[in-house]
Amino acid sequence: MAIKLETEKLSAWFGKKQVLKDVSLAFEEKKVTALVGPSGCGKSTFIRCLNRMHELNPDGRVEGKVLLDGENIYGMDPMDVRRKIGMVFQKPNPFPNMSISDNTVAGIRLSGEKSKADLEEVVERALKSVGLYEEVKDDLKRSGTSLSGGQQQRLCIARALAMEPEVILMDEPTSALDPASTSRIEELIRKLRSEITVIIITHNVGQAARISDMTAFLYLGELIEYGDTKEFFESPKSPITERYITGRFG
Amino acid sequence: MSKNKKSTFFDKDSAFKYLVVGSSLVVVIFFAMIFMMLLVRSYPAMANDPLMIFGSNWDVAAGIFGGAPAILGTLVSSAIAVLFAIPISLAVAIFFTEYAPRRIRTGLSVLIDMLATIPSVIFGIWGLWIIAPLVKTHIQEPIVSSIGFIPIFSGPAYGLSLFLASLVLTFMIVPIISSLSISLLSSTPVELREAMISLGATRWEVVKHVALPFSKPGIFAAIILALGRALGETMAVTMVIGNSFVWPFSSPSIFSPASTITSKIASELYEAIDVLHVSSLIELGLILLVITLVINSIARLIATRVSKRSGYT
Repeated sequence: MAIKLETEKLSAWFGKKQVLKDVSLAFEEKKVTALVGPSGCGKSTFIRCLNRMHELNPDGRVEGKVLLDGENIYGMDPMDVRRKIGMVFQKPNPFPNMSISDNTVAGIRLSGEKSKADLEEVVERALKSVGLYEEVKDDLKRSGTSLSGGQQQRLCIARALAMEPEVILMDEPTSALDPASTSRIEELIRKLRSEITVIIITHNVGQAARISDMTAFLYLGELIEYGDTKEFFESPKSPITERYITGRFG
Repeated sequence: MSKNKKSTFFDKDSAFKYLVVGSSLVVVIFFAMIFMMLLVRSYPAMANDPLMIFGSNWDVAAGIFGGAPAILGTLVSSAIAVLFAIPISLAVAIFFTEYAPRRIRTGLSVLIDMLATIPSVIFGIWGLWIIAPLVKTHIQEPIVSSIGFIPIFSGPAYGLSLFLASLVLTFMIVPIISSLSISLLSSTPVELREAMISLGATRWEVVKHVALPFSKPGIFAAIILALGRALGETMAVTMVIGNSFVWPFSSPSIFSPASTITSKIASELYEAIDVLHVSSLIELGLILLVITLVINSIARLIATRVSKRSGYT
């Protein structure tokens, strides 16, 4: 199995408070890895270290390594890192001042001028890959915020995919959505796994079991258990993991 | 149910309503009174010759009261001030919200707010004593000697001039536009900033594609507010503009002494004895009021359009 992204003794702080403790975790290429754990366990901070977003917080500090194809991203240009490692957020956040098509290519536009025809092609491809194209193709000039919540989140995934990233990070992408939209996005993530490495945080243990190949369990900033999703849920090694997945805390 | 809530002798709710409606009426009545006063007191001038006020010559002894230089002076000095102030204020606001380290932010914001509260007479003194000589030797003279062949930059370089007044007005309105822009830019939703950052945007790209579009309608309103302040500013302008009708008809140069409606009224009203002289000055005041009303209404119209088009409503 090829390792796409790997953390080595990754620690993170907010001011004096340490929120991640020496997390070493290897993500396999073109697999979906779910990160689970109770609120405040450091999941969000962890994935925000993977695209160098954590350091943007004035109190944020990171130690350790994050290797993308063996190269430490903390030695790379952060803008380049974020172009290679895309992100989808908890709350859908399309740009209100941009149309659906402008939203889709917002990132592509940053990395240099492209011809109109190229951009149109990217819009179509990205929107098709999230299953949004058929729903909006007649009115791509509409504002991105005029869509429903679930459509907005798929638009945000399309915006990230349009950059053709190598890894995509998702921070509880369905927690603000209704069940129907949630299952559409879960379906989409299952489809993505053949093309891209997905790392997804979820609050929902059932969701982790449904969509992921690998599952990691974080608790109080430490990695407790990591393994194949099936084994993780069927025979957890750690008693804390077992208590968490059976819903006895968290 | 509602029957149980019988209105008592003194119904607090309706008392409050009368208080609120009454207070709003006071505002309307005040405005009507001011407008009426200006109309009545300027009537002699309008009855004498309704178009005389738009003439170019103001000669008290001859009984000729043409206020065009003052009207144009008001419009042009405020327009130049706003044009200077927009880039400076935006640069200050963007530096403050996006680049300044947290340590210096508090100090800077106190400073900007303090600048906005400096009485205009202080700006006047400062403009007269400090800025006028500096501007004369370091801006006006070099420009006059290099591109003075262009009429609006021609000499001689007086210290007190339309240009100096515009500059002092600029200093007075920069704090207004920048402090409002700072609060607008810093209220840009974090999730939108992060969305842009996660796409590989630089700080400047986040400003350009997220923070500025988000703040655009509000910044526009701030500019209009500042324009209103500049149009109505009296004290500082009267002190530094030179109060002369040289500009624009005798000399089109922005380095000539000039006048504005406010400086004209402030410097002449108390000496005016002649009825026509007084009422012509009042008529200028009426024109200033109409100008500010028109600009404010246009601004309102444009601001609603801008905010609708930007998607942030």
